[in-house]
Amino acid sequence: MGFLDELFKKKEKVEDVAANVANKAEKAVKGAADAAKAAAYDGEKVTHELQKADLGELLPGAPKGGKINLAIYWAAACGGCDVSILDVNERILTVGDMANIVMWPVAADGKEKDIAAMEDGEITVSIISGAVRNSENEHMVKLLRQKSKIVVAYGTCACFGGSPALANLVADGKEEILNYVYTKTPTSADFQKTYHKDAPVIPKVSCKVPEGELTLPVLYDTVKTLDQVVDVDYFVPGCPPQQETISQMLKAVADFAYAGVALPPKGTTIGITTKTLCDECPRKKANARITEFLEPYQVNVQDGICLMDQGILCLGPSTIGGCGARCTKAGQPCRGCYGPTADVQEQGASMFTAVASLLPILDDDPICDEEKIVKIVSEIKDPLGYFYAFTLGKALIKKAVKETGGQ
Amino acid sequence: MADFEPRIVTFCCNWCSYAGADGAGVARLQMPTNFRIIRTMCSARVDPEFILRAFSKGADGVMVLGCHPGDCHYIGGNYRARRRIALLRLVLEQYGFDPRRLKLEWVSASEGEKFQKTVTEFVDVVKALGPTPLQKEAN
Repeated sequence: MGFLDELFKKKEKVEDVAANVANKAEKAVKGAADAAKAAAYDGEKVTHELQKADLGELLPGAPKGGKINLAIYWAAACGGCDVSILDVNERILTVGDMANIVMWPVAADGKEKDIAAMEDGEITVSIISGAVRNSENEHMVKLLRQKSKIVVAYGTCACFGGSPALANLVADGKEEILNYVYTKTPTSADFQKTYHKDAPVIPKVSCKVPEGELTLPVLYDTVKTLDQVVDVDYFVPGCPPQQETISQMLKAVADFAYAGVALPPKGTTIGITTKTLCDECPRKKANARITEFLEPYQVNVQDGICLMDQGILCLGPSTIGGCGARCTKAGQPCRGCYGPTADVQEQGASMFTAVASLLPILDDDPICDEEKIVKIVSEIKDPLGYFYAFTLGKALIKKAVKETGGQ
Repeated sequence: MADFEPRIVTFCCNWCSYAGADGAGVARLQMPTNFRIIRTMCSARVDPEFILRAFSKGADGVMVLGCHPGDCHYIGGNYRARRRIALLRLVLEQYGFDPRRLKLEWVSASEGEKFQKTVTEFVDVVKALGPTPLQKEAN
């Protein structure tokens, strides 16, 4: 029926996978020859060793004016951002000297009622990861905004919607999602068939039990970014934010807490450069034209050469730098988690432009018909999902639409 | 939807199509008035973001007009535009739009009549499709 069904159907093309494996073996042989060519082309060996993490200084105990209050909250997110905060290495041990962690659902004990009991502005910094997807998310981020001096949108989901925002592409919204998840996926279909033969059970917002009424948060039809719901002071992109980015954020907060150094201007995105990821990427571009698009598992990825030149669709040209090109250094294409560059709103649209320019102009281009062009661009599977994997929440068109057929 | 008058954004390249549109006007050819022309230096100057922005602001259709293949003032701009628009059409389809709401056509500087024909046909197509399916955002 819907979008999700189609998605899974596509994945079931097992014979395609088998063909790819055969292809890969063939390409591995070819790859060795290409690698030799690449070394000759590049002239220098590119090393992929990651730089040693900067451990930095430990924080010097409690600030003079007393500890600051720090809240860390996750809304619609996977929790990876919470874990990434630990990436400041051993300095994390001294963060507790600088700040009282008044709330951190995954690690500390603070509850919603504790926050509600606080004065407005009593929390110095709230670090919020995740998109806003249900009534609980919305209530909590509004509460934290009210009680905090500074709100940081931490991670791609909070800044741009992230992968949760792809749910906006399900045309029938939450009904279709709930229906699919609780009745169609193999495990839930089995469960419903065994235990609820007559009518499948789908979670409800409220439910009467002998002891009283039980409630669940209301799932929204549209996944929103944090700044579409509350006023946000700083943005920290990344899925999750990289260590350097987090260190910059911690430094800004520590400078403010210990020495009263002014914070960056409101609305600043922390940890990004002014150029695209390609500027940081050590791979060399040969401006090859590509006619087929591959996933990294389908080819023997060569060192030192641009992934696009090798036919791997990489979102580097449309993504802002700042992450240190970790993925491309490891032979994986950029998926665009740091978001669009400063001059554009649409990361996906930037990528259409880049990709269309990479497709070769053919000899018969002046006379060929539109079908051929459609065939060429159809090589890119699922362009909407691929180019907007992290930024659909901030795209110009944020939701799937339904044509009414002139009715 | 007899009284539906679509709003159409038309991008014309400076060297061919804009002159073509001008020619249609000078020749006093009759055509619907549902379109607004935006002149760009080349059809390849039309960033996909422009088109998505037009749709997000409520355009019922978008037309991009450029030089005929082989005639581009910048040699190969229209080939790029052609690939971009084809890709964008796939994306609009994924969003749920009817891809016919986005049209690419070649109109040279001397083809006032073709401009008239293209516009008239496109307005008819969009009229049949009805207003844009994009709902205005609640807030």
